[in-house]
Amino acid sequence: MNDRQKLLKKVQMYSFAVTDAALFLDTHPDCAEALAYYNKYKKLCEEAKKQYEQAYGPLCIESEQNDARWAWADSPFPWELSAN
Amino acid sequence: MWKYEKKLEYPVKIKTPNATSAKIIVSQFGGPDGELGASMRYLSQRYTAPTPEVKAILNDIGTEELSHMEMVCSIIYQLTRDLTPKEIKESGFDVYFVDHTNGLYPVAASGAPFSADMFQSTGDPIADLSEDMGAEQKARLTYDNILRLVDDPDVRDVIKFLREREIVHFQRFGEALRLVTDRLDSKNFYAYNPSFDVKK
Repeated sequence: MNDRQKLLKKVQMYSFAVTDAALFLDTHPDCAEALAYYNKYKKLCEEAKKQYEQAYGPLCIESEQNDARWAWADSPFPWELSAN
Repeated sequence: MWKYEKKLEYPVKIKTPNATSAKIIVSQFGGPDGELGASMRYLSQRYTAPTPEVKAILNDIGTEELSHMEMVCSIIYQLTRDLTPKEIKESGFDVYFVDHTNGLYPVAASGAPFSADMFQSTGDPIADLSEDMGAEQKARLTYDNILRLVDDPDVRDVIKFLREREIVHFQRFGEALRLVTDRLDSKNFYAYNPSFDVKK
């Protein structure tokens, strides 16, 4: 696993924690413990995404990494072997 | 609306192509209990959901299912790369290949193409959420059957992740159904449809 893949995996881990916590909060909107967990991982996820994008290009189309050059259309795409 | 993130929900990295595995896993793309049907089911049902929590859970699970469809397609895409015509013929993948080459097309493993007949959107939240709980169990057992047929640890790891998500979604839909029934007449849940009838 290269450095890019390691950092992507970190983004995927934090992002998954956020996704899973969000589903729990949908049916338990008043659960303070779940909201604290969600907020903790949302922050870690945002930091990891920023770190990834600065080094390896955009994860979202509105990324600052597209400002100087349209990097959104660069390879690899998520389904490709080299992306994972 | 939706915004795309240029990553999979969980990594897919299949080192060894295997068209025989692809031929059965495609069912979780376009089969009767696959991820395309799951996402379309929940995203269609959400409009008439009776409470904000139920709207949110249908919206968000429907969205997660789109990312699962992408993961299943990534598995098939990677399993079918670099194959020779001889390998395609011997693996039994030839019956798919003849129409679609290596393109991703939503079909069941039996060859039946995806159809909206595979799900319902009834406008009745008790019926819809009961179907959704059943759908999650049917998807879970399909992943269990795939695990019975596939040996490659690279594929199994991803299938196990997807299988676990079915169990979590089943739990969330159970909670959503409880939220709906808690607000109905406890002597007769079916006295009226909270998404259609006005309570007297």
